[in-house]
Order: sequence, then structure tokens, then C-alpha cells
Amino acid sequence: MLKRILRSMAFVAVAAAATLTASAALAAKVAVITPYLAQPGTQFYVEAFQGVAGDKGWDVNVIDTQGDVAAVISRIEDMVTQNVDAIVINVDPAQVQAGLQVAADAGIPVFGMDAGADPLLVTNVTSNGYQMAAETSTYVADRIGGTGNVVMFIFDAFPPVQVRGVIARAVFGNYPDITILDQVTPDVSDGGIADSRAKMEAILAANPEPGSIAAVWAAWDQPALGALQAIADAGRSDEGIVITGIDANPQARDEIAKGGNFEASVAQDFHGIGAATADAVARVLDGETIKQRVIYVPTKLITVANAGE
Amino acid sequence: MTILTLLRRFGTLIGFVVIVCYFWAQLPDTFMTARNWLNITQQLSMLIVVAAGMTIVMVMNDFDLSVGSMASLSGIVAAMLFSFGYPIWLAVGIALLVGLLGGLFNGVLVGLIGILPFVATLATLTMFSGAAFVVSGGKTISGRVIPEAFGNFARQGIEIGPLTVPNLTIVALAVVALVWVLLEQTTFGRRLYAIGGNLEAAHLSGVPVRRFKLIAFSLTGLSAALAGLLYASRVASANPTQGSGLMLNAIAAVFLGMTMSGQGEPRVLATVLGVLILGVLDNGLTQMAVDSYVRQILVGAIILIAVSFSSISKAKRS
Repeated sequence: MLKRILRSMAFVAVAAAATLTASAALAAKVAVITPYLAQPGTQFYVEAFQGVAGDKGWDVNVIDTQGDVAAVISRIEDMVTQNVDAIVINVDPAQVQAGLQVAADAGIPVFGMDAGADPLLVTNVTSNGYQMAAETSTYVADRIGGTGNVVMFIFDAFPPVQVRGVIARAVFGNYPDITILDQVTPDVSDGGIADSRAKMEAILAANPEPGSIAAVWAAWDQPALGALQAIADAGRSDEGIVITGIDANPQARDEIAKGGNFEASVAQDFHGIGAATADAVARVLDGETIKQRVIYVPTKLITVANAGE
Repeated sequence: MTILTLLRRFGTLIGFVVIVCYFWAQLPDTFMTARNWLNITQQLSMLIVVAAGMTIVMVMNDFDLSVGSMASLSGIVAAMLFSFGYPIWLAVGIALLVGLLGGLFNGVLVGLIGILPFVATLATLTMFSGAAFVVSGGKTISGRVIPEAFGNFARQGIEIGPLTVPNLTIVALAVVALVWVLLEQTTFGRRLYAIGGNLEAAHLSGVPVRRFKLIAFSLTGLSAALAGLLYASRVASANPTQGSGLMLNAIAAVFLGMTMSGQGEPRVLATVLGVLILGVLDNGLTQMAVDSYVRQILVGAIILIAVSFSSISKAKRS
């Protein structure tokens, strides 16, 4: 009896092992290569990617080069040597052209996960900067009733932030009674909060009348936080100056949750980007051709109502 | 030769062969191919250049912590000059000159003023790094300002039969050859080893120690700058922190190499083997899909094992 049980158990084990090996042999091999795994946003993408990949039974190899961009090229070369089915990168494609070319020559599709658009990428999955700026600039315009002076914090030297300024200018320009009081490019070498605060203090000093500044629109959260500090420090928190940022970083969320002047920001859906990248990989592995050079994942307006989520 | 001395002398080499054989067995189709080995040498070219330069100062028992930030600085200097419209040869020449002068500055601090190399080069590490940030404004310089020919250099090579030997590999081999001639075939090299063996004795026997330190540190700075340019070419861009990973790996490679020489002194060919060990681990473990953090632990363990072997056998001898 015991022997029989043992024998059937052994049979089950062998069968299971055989199934595992068979599925492992069939499983698509996908490499995710990033220099930025230590950053919170990247971790969210990668987790979500692995979630979808797990459902599909892919064999995912996540490689972190810890800030080393040349090593991303090296690891792409290694993955091409391994003949993986697809590669996902999370780094500026312009800096890893050498690796992308090697993959292209080998016919291995490479996908960008919030990487930047590039002819050598099948597609890049990211948030829509135009849309994020539209969310906050229309929030500001609606909130101040389409009238008043607005201070803008912009950063045109960095393309992903530059597009945000373009949209905000267009939205404010469409309201005849909204005046853009100033467009400030803060010095970001210290993170952007301190210098934005100094710039905002100067603007407040130049516009002492209550109500002379209706809103501060910032292209990202740090200048919004700096402006918030300057307004509080000047004792003008009760004038109803509306402040918005973009990115919804934890510090910004805390301030928004307090219900003060900092009223809104926009959160990127990092999980959504990871999952959508995995979907794009799945489509290509199934033989589909993706025409979209960039796939945008919807973003979410963060206000006092949902800042704590 | 007893087994122990054999192990002491060739333990690291045997370890390297074992690692290679292991990957060969695990990755039968992809590891032991000419293509993969050319990839590895190309991937390691920057580290080989830095480590070869590091060997020069380590021969004198000194070392240079500033090589990584010098590599970043030289890449940034060249990229900024490109953005001002300088031709490639001039921008590259000036970036190399920056490396030479930075190295000379280290040499002055260590050789003339007499500051410990750890302290002196730790200070210049932060200075060069700060300079890279100042020059670049903290930004990554990429895109159209980088001449296409500069980025293409790292992607092209010389075709030998069916294989293309990457330019980066060729540069690295040339640097190793130059350093080998300098250290092993010239009076200058022998005197450097004399300084490393016994500084006082070398000084008393008339070796101009100070001048030697100036020259040695200058060459280390120059090689760091060259590595920074290779890096910038490979990524077709320059970032003020991109060379920072090179320093510790270069020192690790020299230490690994030192375990293979008779008296435990650095030899440039042994350094290259040290670099190869690090690079082969990277390449093989990546191909086997081993966690990149586990690789770091393995590298540290391998250095400790290699150094322990030579220390234990030394202790037994004495």
C-alpha cells in the first residue's frame, strides 16, 4: 500500500516537474533594464509589470544598473546574446542608442517604460504631460472664476516639463481676464523649493495688495511648495491664493490634504504605466504591430478629496 | 612549489577559470562565443582603462579615489565644448588635458605637500565632481550637441574576418599595452616598484620620489579622463555623475590582480584579469538572470576569498 502511494506520489512529482519544464521552455523571456530601480516611481512600474507578466507566465529578469547608464547598454547586449523575446527599458533612449541598435539588428523588440520616444523603440508608455498641465491649469482658471493675476513656475530647459508650460499658457491665454503676472524659471540645483520660495517672496513684495495675486501655477510640485512657504511666511495665507503643482509627490499630497492654499496636483499612474507596458509587450509577442509611438496612461487630479489615498 | 604556494600564486587565476567554466556549462549556447567575449571586452573597456591607470599609482602603494569623478568631469568638459561647436579632436584633447592636470594636482598634494593619498584624493574626488556639476549646470548633455561621429566611435570597430573588434576594446588594449611597457620594460617602471617596495630605500638610493609621484598621478588622471571619454562616447551623452561607479571597481580589480603576483605587488596584466573577473561575473550572472544585487555580494565575497588565500599562505610562510 505504502509503496503504491509512494509510487503515485513520485509519478505526480515527475509529471509536475515535466509540466514545469515544458512551461518554462515555452515561457517568453522578458528583460526589464533600468538604472533607477531605487526610485519609488520605478519600483511601482516594475511591480505592476511583474504582476501582469506573472499572469502571462513570462520569465521576467529585472536588472538594476544602479545609476550606470553605460551598464544599461552592456545589459541590453547581454540580453540580446541570451536572445530574449523582449526588452523593456526605463532610461532616456538617446543615451542607450548603441544598445538599442544591437537589439534592433537582432530583431528583438524594445519597449520604453516612461523612457522617451525613439524610432528604435516599439513604443513608449508614459503619462501625457500636456494632459497633466491641462488638468491643473483648468483647475486654476475655474477656481479663480476666469479672472485675476497668475504666477507661473516653469522649466523650459527640460522637455517633459516644457510641454506643461505650453498648455498652461494656452489655457490662461484663452481667458481674457486672466493675466500671467510672471513666468519664473527657478534654480533647481538645490531641489527647487528654496529658490522658488525666494522668487515668490520677491513677487509677493512687488504685489503687496491683497488679491493682486489670484493663483500660482507650478509645472511641478517643488515650486508650488516653495510658493506655499513664501505665502505663509508673508502672512498672506488667508488671501485665497490658489496653488497647484504636478506629480503629487508625498510632500505635496500632505499639503493638499491640509486644505490650505496648495489645492491640487496631478498624480501619474505608475502602476498603470507598468501594466500598460506589459500589455504592449504581450500584444507584440502575439504578433500584433503597434502603431502608436507613445501610449499614454491616464493621470489623476489630486485634491483635498483624495490626497490621503 | 608546494600546493599551498601554487594556490597562493594561481588561486585567483584558477578561480577565474572555474567561473568561466561554470558559465560555459550553464550557458552552453551563448557564453563561450566570440561575439559574447567581444561584448564583454567592450563593456569592460572603460574599467580596464581606469584600472590600468590605477595600477600605476598603486605600484607606489598610493591610490587615487578621484578617478571616477575625473571620468565624469572629462566627459562633461568634452560635451560642453561640443555644444560650443568645438571640433571633436580639440574637445577630446582639452578633456584629456583636464585629466592630466587634475592628476598632476593630485600628485602635487601627495608628492610635494605630503598629504595622505586617501585624504588628498578624497578631497579632489569631491572637487572634480563639483566641477562637473558646475560646468554642466547639473544637466545631462545629450542629443544633437554631441557630434554623431563621437557617438559612433563606440558603436563601430575594425573588421577582422567575420568579427568586428569594437573600437572601445582596441583602445583599452592599447592602454594596457602602454602601461605594461611603462611598468615592466622601463627604468621608470622599475623605480616605481622600488618606491612601492621601500620608499625610504628608494629615496636614499637616489630615486626622485617626488617627481615620480607627480608623473604617476598625472598618468592616472589622464587614463581616468580617457575612460570618461569612452563612457561619454558609449552613451553619446555626458552626465556629471556617470563615472562614479568606476573608482571602487578599479581598486577592486587591482586588488584582485595583486593576489596573483609573487610579492603581492600590482601588475597591469593581473589587473586586467581582475577586471575580467568582475566583468565576466556581470555578464554571466545577467545572462543567468541572477539578481543584480546578489552579484554585488558575490563580487565582495570573491575579493575576500582571493585576498584571504594569499594572506593565509603568507602567514604560514612567516
